Amino acid sequence: MLEIAIIVAAIAIGAGVALLAGGLVGIGEGYVAGKAVEAMARQPEMEGSIRTTMILGQAISESGAIYSLAVVLLLIFTVVLPLVNRLLELL
Amino acid sequence: MEPKVLFYIHTFPISEPLLFTWIIMAAVAIACFFLTRNLRKVPRGVQHLLEVAVEGIENVVVGDMGPEGKVFVPLILMVATFVGLSNLIGVVPGAVSPTEDLTTTLTLALFVFVVGHVAAIVKKGFWPWLKGFFEPYFFMFPINLAGEISQVISHAFRLYGNIFGGSILIGIVYMLAPYVLPVPLLAWFGVLMGIIQTAVFTLLAVIYIQIKIN
Repeated sequence: MLEIAIIVAAIAIGAGVALLAGGLVGIGEGYVAGKAVEAMARQPEMEGSIRTTMILGQAISESGAIYSLAVVLLLIFTVVLPLVNRLLELL
Repeated sequence: MEPKVLFYIHTFPISEPLLFTWIIMAAVAIACFFLTRNLRKVPRGVQHLLEVAVEGIENVVVGDMGPEGKVFVPLILMVATFVGLSNLIGVVPGAVSPTEDLTTTLTLALFVFVVGHVAAIVKKGFWPWLKGFFEPYFFMFPINLAGEISQVISHAFRLYGNIFGGSILIGIVYMLAPYVLPVPLLAWFGVLMGIIQTAVFTLLAVIYIQIKIN
């Protein structure tokens, strides 16, 4: 039983650490948005295409965060929850 | 992670995302039938809005692929309509977005992938298309192949992760504070993120097809 508890704790910590990718991607996307605002201020007539490119670039660089989110969801829903149910049965 | 199965037709399970996919398909088909009766040369009413939407998509596609991209306008319009309605139906209480299920998004991504490669074969011919995998050098083949596969996966997971993550967050907030707090979250994750992710999915579909045919 203690072994299962340790496994659950380790996986939960791992899931939390994996979400650090979200924070780092946030920094990158904020930088992209700031640069886009600079570009729009310099050339207001290009606003439309700058906005499209900005959203596209942000969406692509968001992949990292989305992968980490998928990993976290997989960990929690397919590994941790059955183990927790098993623990509750044992108690 | 499996979707909830609502009922069975014989032995065929009908899950929640499948049911709502069918509802959206029926709604789009009925809307297409009734909105295209008595079309006018000078548009009035709903025809105005639809023409603005169709022209917007057409401008995006033609601006990206050039005049030869006009073939893909109905396809991209279909993807945009389906993904947009699927994302927005999640706001309705009791409804489940079909895009919350990986099956739906992976199907759409694979569909865009196959369409892109078939269009590339039709445009360039079979051997030049095959040779494209061995550019710039022949030993780059595994890397090109991995790039193609990861493109499908990232295209599918981006939509799925955003919509599923948003719905999980809203579910947690529902458990903690069921009355006022979920409303702005629903407006943000349901409506705004739904529309942005629709635009991103559609734009990426256009760009992936454009990369393959050029």
